[in-house]
Amino acid sequence: MIEIRNFTFTYRESDAPVVRDINLSIPAGSFVGITGAAGSGKSTLTYAMNGIIPHCYPGDFFGSVTVDGLDTCETSLTDISQIVGSVCQDIDSQIVTSIVEDEMLYGLENFGVPHNEIEKRVEEALEDMGISDLRDRVIASLSGGQKQKVAIASILALKPKVLMLDEPTAELDPASSLQVFQLLARYAREHGTTVVVVEQKIALVSEFADMLVIVDKGTIRFADTPANVLAHSEELLEIGVNCPRATTLMNRLAADGVYNGPVCRNVEEACYALMGILGGNPVGRALAESEAIA
Amino acid sequence: MNGFLEYVPGTSLLHRMNPVAKLLFAVIFAIMCFCTSNLVFLGAMLVLGLVMAASCGMMRQTFGLMKAVFVFSLILALLLILTSSSGEPLVDLPWGYIGTGSILAAVTTSVRLEAAAIPLFLTFYVTKMSDLSNSVVKVLHVPYKYAFTFTSTVHFIPVFMNDMKGIMEAQTARGVEFDQGGFVNKVRLMVPLCVPLLVSSVRKTNSAAIAAEVRGFNLRTRESGYKQYPFAAYDIAALVLVIALVVVAVILH
Repeated sequence: MIEIRNFTFTYRESDAPVVRDINLSIPAGSFVGITGAAGSGKSTLTYAMNGIIPHCYPGDFFGSVTVDGLDTCETSLTDISQIVGSVCQDIDSQIVTSIVEDEMLYGLENFGVPHNEIEKRVEEALEDMGISDLRDRVIASLSGGQKQKVAIASILALKPKVLMLDEPTAELDPASSLQVFQLLARYAREHGTTVVVVEQKIALVSEFADMLVIVDKGTIRFADTPANVLAHSEELLEIGVNCPRATTLMNRLAADGVYNGPVCRNVEEACYALMGILGGNPVGRALAESEAIA
Repeated sequence: MNGFLEYVPGTSLLHRMNPVAKLLFAVIFAIMCFCTSNLVFLGAMLVLGLVMAASCGMMRQTFGLMKAVFVFSLILALLLILTSSSGEPLVDLPWGYIGTGSILAAVTTSVRLEAAAIPLFLTFYVTKMSDLSNSVVKVLHVPYKYAFTFTSTVHFIPVFMNDMKGIMEAQTARGVEFDQGGFVNKVRLMVPLCVPLLVSSVRKTNSAAIAAEVRGFNLRTRESGYKQYPFAAYDIAALVLVIALVVVAVILH
């Protein structure tokens, strides 16, 4: 769906390239998580995929980026936007109207969705994000999490082939963050949508992504399944990416030769793995019991 | 707490009226107030404005507005009192005199400004900004770009005010005393803060422009709007009423 070849980009006002020699292939229908330390070039990478680079931020563009077969340099931003729906990092500036319903209508009206289809799309998108009850609310009166869901729903209503989100859970508490990811994953599965999400919460994104991309100083350090990427927890830590603690623990046990199973992405998986290692001894039994209670 | 020009939800007749009808009514009403100097008629128009405000439950906002307009009209009234020497002389001035006529003119000006302002402001309080801009584009054929510029401006006022508040709070936390020394001191301390505010505003405006563009801003035409804005009987009645008022105002002069 998205092909990036030898992509290097320098913003006009900076001297050094922000991203260098990027090669990345994102298959249709996949759920891709992009993470990395602050200032590593994650956002620039997403701007390249949704056409904001080169159409809104001028600079030196080398290589090629194609989305659904269209070269982003030769296609207008408006045309790219009909394929890639983007939710920006700064939600307040993304919102252009003051009522939830109008915000939902905005993109649909602009892209000329037939008027008899609009109502259904609005209802479905609100339902998909679980915010049907907010339809008539004034956006300024919503909480950060609700605004985030409105912003996502307004893009979902456009039914883009690719959904691109820049830190969609930045303003959310852990429970709402998980909820947003669950909703996104379900939506993507049901509609066959490709999802690209920039996310700092690596534990969360590893649970849902098929591919985890780690960006470090403008280059792609890893682009693989979350399990394969998380196996490198030591190197990740060096470049400023904190792995989930359960992963780090199990990777150390693996390095010491105690554990030789697959990489654990969360506490549950680590728990099962430990039960397996400890087998019949009391700690293992205690773990099994606590797991049964949970 | 609602902000400046921010829509207040409701179901009153004024809320339900066609946005274009409301806007036309308010604009013609304001022009009409400037067509006459009959104080009794203007007083009646002021009362009519207040009745409209009461009918949609906006008395609190209206009084706030009236206070602001009053301060402004006071300056004009003062100028009128000091410069127009007419009627029975009351106080002698080196360049003329303050007469009953000057005071009448001052009062008329104040009442006129108050009466003209109320329906205009009510229009914004009882109409969603998006309905207003969409209907103006659809019915009055105003180019969408201009309508969007206006709605974005109004949309961003509270956002920027919030930013300013945030910057001021951050400065207060570092010991800047905004609450000391009155208004002049406050303004003096606020001026340097306009630079960071400007920077953040430009950045926000830029991302808002990008956000609008990736959601098809350039494709929007007059036919894009999903909602329809038909004229109901009461919309036509309101327009007939305001035109009749214009006629009366011109006759009374």
